[in-house]
Amino acid sequence: MTNLSPDMLPAEPGNGLRNLLPRWSAKLAVGSVLILAITLFGLAGPLLVGDPDRIDNIGLTAPGAGHLLGTTQTGQDVLAQIAYATRGSLYIGVLVGVLATVLSVLFGIVGAYAGRAIDETFSLFSNVMLVIPGLPLVIVISAFVPPERRGTWTIALVLAITGWAGSARVLRAQTLSVRGREYVLAARVAGERPARVIGVEILPNLLPLLASQFVFSVIAAILAEAGLSFLGLGASSSSTLGTMLYYAQNGFALQRGAWWWFVPPGLIIALFGCGLALVNFTIDEIVNPTLRRPRRPIPTVARPSTGPAPDTGDDVVLSLTDVSVTYQGERPVQAVREVSLALRRGEILGLAGESGCGKTTLAYAITRLHRPPAQVTGGSITFHDRVEGTLDLLALAPEQLRAVRWAKLSMVFQGAMNALNPVLTIRAQMVDVLTTHRPAMSRAARRARCAELLTLVGVDPRRLLSYPHELSGGMRQRVMIAMALLLDPQIVILDEPTTALDVLVQRGILQEIMRLREQLGFAVLFITHDLPLLLEVADRIAVMLDGRIVEYAPAEEIRDHPRQPYTRRLLDSFPSLTGERGAFVRSGGTS
Amino acid sequence: MSYYLRKFGFYLVALWAAVTLNFFIPRMMPGDPVDILMAKLQQRGSGVDPSARRAYELLLGTHTDEPLIKQYIAYLGNLVRGDFGVSVSDFPTPVSTVIATSLPWTVALVGIATVLAVLSGIVLGVFVGWRRGTWLDSLVPATTVLSAVPYFWLALVLVAGLGSGLGWFPLLGGYDVVLNPGWHADFLGSALYHGFLPALTIVISSIGGWLLGTRNMMVSATAEDFVLTARAKGLRERRIMIWYAARNAILPSIAGFAISLGFVVAGSIVTEQVFAYPGIGSKLLQAVQNNDYALMQAIFLVITVAVLAANLAVDLLYGIIDPRTRTGG
Repeated sequence: MTNLSPDMLPAEPGNGLRNLLPRWSAKLAVGSVLILAITLFGLAGPLLVGDPDRIDNIGLTAPGAGHLLGTTQTGQDVLAQIAYATRGSLYIGVLVGVLATVLSVLFGIVGAYAGRAIDETFSLFSNVMLVIPGLPLVIVISAFVPPERRGTWTIALVLAITGWAGSARVLRAQTLSVRGREYVLAARVAGERPARVIGVEILPNLLPLLASQFVFSVIAAILAEAGLSFLGLGASSSSTLGTMLYYAQNGFALQRGAWWWFVPPGLIIALFGCGLALVNFTIDEIVNPTLRRPRRPIPTVARPSTGPAPDTGDDVVLSLTDVSVTYQGERPVQAVREVSLALRRGEILGLAGESGCGKTTLAYAITRLHRPPAQVTGGSITFHDRVEGTLDLLALAPEQLRAVRWAKLSMVFQGAMNALNPVLTIRAQMVDVLTTHRPAMSRAARRARCAELLTLVGVDPRRLLSYPHELSGGMRQRVMIAMALLLDPQIVILDEPTTALDVLVQRGILQEIMRLREQLGFAVLFITHDLPLLLEVADRIAVMLDGRIVEYAPAEEIRDHPRQPYTRRLLDSFPSLTGERGAFVRSGGTS
Repeated sequence: MSYYLRKFGFYLVALWAAVTLNFFIPRMMPGDPVDILMAKLQQRGSGVDPSARRAYELLLGTHTDEPLIKQYIAYLGNLVRGDFGVSVSDFPTPVSTVIATSLPWTVALVGIATVLAVLSGIVLGVFVGWRRGTWLDSLVPATTVLSAVPYFWLALVLVAGLGSGLGWFPLLGGYDVVLNPGWHADFLGSALYHGFLPALTIVISSIGGWLLGTRNMMVSATAEDFVLTARAKGLRERRIMIWYAARNAILPSIAGFAISLGFVVAGSIVTEQVFAYPGIGSKLLQAVQNNDYALMQAIFLVITVAVLAANLAVDLLYGIIDPRTRTGG
């Protein structure tokens, strides 16, 4: 899409680098406090508590003044043991976390970067390691190592070897996507060494993901080590939370009701893991911004009741009066400003403007498909129905609105958008419109109607059983048009219907739309950035700039006497029939 | 079709890798497991049976000059015949019999618990993801505590609370030992009763991961264009949630089944130990504690094969529910 003037896009608060910084939240706060507290306890605790092995009690004393967490069967202080055990568990957790991350970087990132045979081999290896169950393998390996040679490093190495594969797979997928980006390609073309490309161009982009995988490895390692030690197969002479639980289990803590012996060690593991997982939420939100919550709940209805526009008797089917749409946030952005338009029955109304000018926002607002934080803040949108008379679209109850959608007013989205559900057949996605809106229709009639519409738009009805990915872009768009006409709507909104398609396909689809409009008589709101194209198809044209309609006139008038300099620039910015290119695109700038 | 062929091929490679790993690990490790085993056999009063020694040597390595490749082929032959030698901890039961009696317990326990955890986790995740921004969001951090809890510790706490504390459930075992195992109501009822706490442990510990994963995918799926199309089509919310958002959101969860299953298997081995459950996890530990290497190796293989089979089944299912896998690369 031609992005003519990026400076006109509404500036999203917190763009760019700030998105890579963690956003402070309750989850992050609680998680950090848990991690810090437990780490501090593991580091400093052993200095404060006494000797964990000193026996100064007859054993199994309940918590009290002398022993804050009671004593073990042999009379050692549980608190002292936990302090040392926490240190041991954290040590091995971090050790394995580092080793496993190094392995996953090696096999995931390097493999994916190298590509071809190396990638295939590394990826196969990771996947095989992933499906071979880890703990049984660890148990078998540790069982063969004589206890006297089973040190912390041996166990850490074994846990790392059996625990890196999952991360490698995640990193590989991400590297493959980063690898194809322009700046990485540019660096490779410039002949930079692979190590440098990976280190400078790729790794920084993977940092949040890498951090999240590291955190995950640490949790997994602490849990696995605890399990292993609980089975008596951990590092010999090491003291971890798992070995504590092993002694508690073998000292019949459970049977004797000595909860203070076996509850705290597990609780520390759980709380530490929980802390890491909470921090991971924040990292996940950096990796995947859709997971972020809107900062403030946005009131759903807060629109001044202008009331529906009166039926002017002018054969108008849709009228917009002073419609404003605002993206609420710390700095609210008014995307649509007091727009008034009227769409007559059977006419094609073109809405032209650059991307970011608010035309798609306006289209969504008409059927109230806009999502928070977008909000209609003023004006009225009125539908003049052939049968039911005047409908105030902004005031409809959810169920009424649902019934109006598609039946009276349908939409065709951009060809580039994946507007079709990838896992349902074309027929399923067409039929569900009919089952919802025309419940009385028979199964055979529904299927016949779908086939009829596909034929109408020039697609072989046998395609009904295809899935979207089996169709070409042009065919998918024809299917969308067929779907939009299923219920014989009075209005069809076309939002950049041909933008992503090549010129020939674009032609064909436009001619199809014109023909169908003649035949079926629906009105069209045609949204595009391509003003010259609108001159050919539209009856009237509205030019939108920065949320406002700056020019609104019959197509011939726009063509012959554009009043606004902006309209002239839009006209010139596309190759004309003579093949000349306008100065606007070449200079690439504006205002 | 190529999707299924590739999957079968992959699991064959994985199986071969596991079998080969199993062959090399004891040979690479210090110590002499065969001699330890033979000494144990003699303690049990069994004569030195050359065929038993041969079976152990093929499994664990030998000091003779026999070329590795010949040992390897003979080892594969023994595997195909199901001949893993004799268990020294359950002397004189053959290893294959020990496995045959303990495997069904684990398969039933882990199978039922995993299916319950997966189904309820996915359903809850779909719901929580769909209702984002409501109070249900507060469930999400809570699930992380559950997934960070060590299985065996949760088992200990459950036993302490619901078992010895309240006396609702038995502390140990897989069934009431006075009953005769068989397909009759008393025994099955007793097995279900005894299996409740172990299964609860597995469900509680693994449900959080499924819930969270599905919830996050649901949030992403809800932002997809085809969900917007579904809204524009005036479909009912329920239909959009199930057939448009959830139908796509569960795909990554199912594709990630392999990783989750590894954790479940690991957790259940340790859990069985807590409950002295008569499954294959307890047998594995019994084998480790008694240096019963033959049994140990065989159990590792059986667990691996079971996990591979489960993953294969899930991959085949995935091929059915995601039409994109069936055509093209």
